[in-house]
Amino acid sequence: MDSAVIKDSYQCVRYFCTTGSGLEPFLVEEVKRKLSASDVELISGRVFFSTDAAVESISQLKSAERLFILLHRSPPIRAPVSQAKAASVVQQSIVGDPEVWEGALCTWSRLKTRLTGIKMTRKRKREEEEHTEAQGGHSRDIQSDTSGLQTDSEQQKPTFRVSCRSSGALARRFSPQDMSRLIGSAITKQLNWRADLKTPDLEVNVYLSDDHCVVGILLSSQPLAKRSYMKHTGLRSTVAWAMASVSNIKEGAVIIDPMCGVGTILLEAAQECPNACFFGLDSDVGQLQKATENMEFAQLQGRVQLLQASAMGIPLPSGSVDVVVCDVPFGRKFSCGSSMAAALPEIVKEMERVLCVGGSLVLLVSLQLSTLLKKRIPKDAPAPHTPSSTRCPASDALLSSETHTCATSTHHGDARPSDRTAPQPFFSLQTNSFHKVGLGNTDAIIHTYTKTRGL
Amino acid sequence: MKLLTHNMLTSHVKGVTKGYPLLIKATEVKVNEVEFNPQFISRMIPKLEWSAFIQAAEGLGHLQNLPSTVVPEFENNEDFLRDVHKVLLEVEVIEGCLQCPESGREFPISRGVPNMLLNEDEA
Repeated sequence: MDSAVIKDSYQCVRYFCTTGSGLEPFLVEEVKRKLSASDVELISGRVFFSTDAAVESISQLKSAERLFILLHRSPPIRAPVSQAKAASVVQQSIVGDPEVWEGALCTWSRLKTRLTGIKMTRKRKREEEEHTEAQGGHSRDIQSDTSGLQTDSEQQKPTFRVSCRSSGALARRFSPQDMSRLIGSAITKQLNWRADLKTPDLEVNVYLSDDHCVVGILLSSQPLAKRSYMKHTGLRSTVAWAMASVSNIKEGAVIIDPMCGVGTILLEAAQECPNACFFGLDSDVGQLQKATENMEFAQLQGRVQLLQASAMGIPLPSGSVDVVVCDVPFGRKFSCGSSMAAALPEIVKEMERVLCVGGSLVLLVSLQLSTLLKKRIPKDAPAPHTPSSTRCPASDALLSSETHTCATSTHHGDARPSDRTAPQPFFSLQTNSFHKVGLGNTDAIIHTYTKTRGL
Repeated sequence: MKLLTHNMLTSHVKGVTKGYPLLIKATEVKVNEVEFNPQFISRMIPKLEWSAFIQAAEGLGHLQNLPSTVVPEFENNEDFLRDVHKVLLEVEVIEGCLQCPESGREFPISRGVPNMLLNEDEA
């Protein structure tokens, strides 16, 4: 059992974060890089890690949705056939060792205080209640009075609610409501915590499937993905951040988004890379207006410039841009005059033109457009050590560019793989990686390329 | 539109071979304070087409003390970096237009945003 036994209040804490589908590897990389996290493990939609980093910096994670303290991660529950027995097995498995819960509660209240700057004790909450109820003059005053007589340790028993997500065999036997009630009553019984569905002190989060049993306490009341610096939202901020993180942005680089919308990707990228210069292009003046407000709100107007222009005719010189990053519009939310499938080759050609040799192209495309692009730009990694995912260092880009040039000098010879006999519209682009990510009701793919030689 | 943007922009009207630099015709210019980041300015200077930058600054009457060539070892010259910062990022054309030096095509600037869209017959 992987449990969070916290002895010393300043020791390393075991956390987990939820994240969007496909973003788990990005979150793994982020917690390792930013928090020097250890024992990093991922399952679908969740990443577990241990760190002694300040909780303020943990709550700044960009690719995570919600942050939890891990209570325990156990083998999946194998419930007996009898429903009553099954219920009791579930209760035992979820609650487990009460000491783990008491320890996690201490950690939770310490971290919560640091995060919010407010002491989250029951006492304070009661005072608030008493204050509000003094005006209403209500019978609950009696309750507070009696609880006031309790000893200090009992006074620190929190109120809680259970948030449970289950799938698989258990989900077929217990409805979500039944499951939450079952777990809630077990917690009340064994730990003496009081259930409160409306305004609990804390939320116990349970995730049950055929493969997992994860129990934690929610630490972030707001999703981390909800950015305080963003006024108008477009693309999911976590996905935008992931795109920026695979863009290989260096100091002094010029980055453009030729269809920037409200500028979400540029915003995420500019936050992460303080000494680079960003340009957002869009043909829609309404979108640009919102983008302007976003940049002003985030105080990035010094580094992010906006232009009204078409992605088919980027008003920048050839080879002048280090990174092109773009969420290629698709689906219902975005409508485009001509079909994007028809326009895409020309758009990519224009992106290829403005990129410098060694520059990166990062596109977010629908599954349909992804297939189309894969046909146009075959994955024929010439350098044997080209990384299959994540970033491609500049040295690799240069090396592969050399290999490429050599191959071309022999010129479309018989030695070329058969898929290269088709006309190559984007011959300077080399595929680096694909990352499938979830966008709520649909999936999309992040494609990354390097421009390996001049046109 | 900041002069940093102007320094990058080219006219891409069909048939134009060197649509650079665009001529600025400003009717409203503002100076907005932007936080000074010396590292950022140092990184941007090598990327600039310096003569186009000076020409644009002069045209707007905001040349400050900028020399006609980049000073050597500018990374450690804070006065110089501050001057560049001011002209590059704080001077902003709010209304006016940009004119292509070759075709004469004018691109309007409205509320600080240049409109570089072309008509179908121009692209």
